[in-house]
Amino acid sequence: MPRRSTRCPGCGSSNIVDDSLYCQKQQVCADCGSVVSEGSLAQEPYNGPDISYSRTTAVKKKPCANLVQGLERVKEMSRILRVRREVEELALIYYKQAYEHKTFLNVTLLRKEILGGCCVLASCRQQKWPVTIGTICYLVNGDPAVVGEVYQEMIQVLNIQAPTFCVTNFVEAHCQEYKIGPGDVPDELAEESKVLAKRAIALVELAADSWIVTGRQPLPIMIAAVYLAWQSLKPNMQRLKMSLEKFCKLGKVQKSKVAGTRTMEMKEMLYKLGKEIPWYKPVLTPENVVSQIGDILQHRYSLLRRAMKSFELSVLEKCPVNSPRRDPPPPR
Amino acid sequence: MDSSNDEAVDIIVTNVVATFRTRCHLNLRTIALEGINVIYKPEVGKVLMKLRKPRITASIWSSGKIICTGATSEDEAKLGARRLARCLQKLGFKVNFSAFKVVNVLAVCSMPFSIHLVDFTKNNRPIASYEPELHPAATYRIKNLKATIQVFSTGSLTVTGPNVQNVATAVEQVYPLLFECRKPLCK
Repeated sequence: MPRRSTRCPGCGSSNIVDDSLYCQKQQVCADCGSVVSEGSLAQEPYNGPDISYSRTTAVKKKPCANLVQGLERVKEMSRILRVRREVEELALIYYKQAYEHKTFLNVTLLRKEILGGCCVLASCRQQKWPVTIGTICYLVNGDPAVVGEVYQEMIQVLNIQAPTFCVTNFVEAHCQEYKIGPGDVPDELAEESKVLAKRAIALVELAADSWIVTGRQPLPIMIAAVYLAWQSLKPNMQRLKMSLEKFCKLGKVQKSKVAGTRTMEMKEMLYKLGKEIPWYKPVLTPENVVSQIGDILQHRYSLLRRAMKSFELSVLEKCPVNSPRRDPPPPR
Repeated sequence: MDSSNDEAVDIIVTNVVATFRTRCHLNLRTIALEGINVIYKPEVGKVLMKLRKPRITASIWSSGKIICTGATSEDEAKLGARRLARCLQKLGFKVNFSAFKVVNVLAVCSMPFSIHLVDFTKNNRPIASYEPELHPAATYRIKNLKATIQVFSTGSLTVTGPNVQNVATAVEQVYPLLFECRKPLCK
């Protein structure tokens, strides 16, 4: 059909028809056959929804392989620690968020594994599941200083708060590691884990009141507490003669070098409290105080008060009446 | 120097780190050969020069940038830096003492009471952090002063900050918080 009054540039004729033979509208001169103008595909109006460039040209995006591996590792660590489902899910969420942050995006794979461990630690702390940094270091096979550094960075990046635990929370789990149940060792040396844990917790609380715990590594304190608790539950000759090293070998637990010092400190503290027991007539020394641990723990608050009072009296006797009131040093 | 109670708490500045520039290239070999009390470290690319009075150690780089450590006050750091620049001038370099800046001040301080670190951390949760398995002290960071205080259970404090004034202010700020968590007199 003839359309507008345009002229063919070749022959000058005005007999121009629309030709849509090749699905592209063209205006062709009917006389000489030259194409006057052709529409472009892009000029056709598009009435569908808007499609962004990235969607039209994007290849299907796959999640990063290291992220997937990292998430699997976090799941694995959570299952080794046998944590609750909520703890595992929270750890996975934290890992995903931290991984995609610029601080952790381009770090080494080792650091990313340590990050996974730190996410597990943070989520355990928030859900009140006691796990130590030492356990996490063991799981990720990392240096405690590096693990601590990554943990602090992660806390800042995610802007979360993870309350720390005190030593008493870990004592029960620590006691279960000792293989000194009734089936494992002879009856004179065997002790139920729950009974042992209860006495060890009481010893640790007493040590905390006496300032042995603050600022110190928790593991040697726990080893010392479990050792003294085990000795005091059945203070027979066999148990009293057994050294800390032999006890750790018996329970198949690795002995820490500092545990010996902590044992001595606890014995000193117990000796000072034991001196205040009014019904104990024989001479008390730090060596034979172990047999009195049961009584000391039972009456610990009143014994602590008596010890403080007697120390204050001794200080006042040394100094004149007008001297200023001073803090007595803690029983160590 | 200052405290909010009747007892004064002494803040002892143990280290001041300062940097300055000489605005000229320095030949480290010349300094190492002709300088007095110098140690040349070619693997790192610097020369250590130690002054006796004031007792400071300076790390000298060939770019002309110098870091002075070991001074016990800001004035001493400046005096030591100037003396160092004079030493370098005598060695034949056209030294122009510029851009002197105190970068870090380390001070120690001792509270007259012991501190319960767990309570202190609980009361000041996001600002204070305490990991007994990593370090025996609790760390308290004051953002606006850019100061970091390490609090030990014995009552000792280690404070680091950009200058002496900030360090003193940091100790003043943290004192009441520590006083709340001190060891109780009797149970």
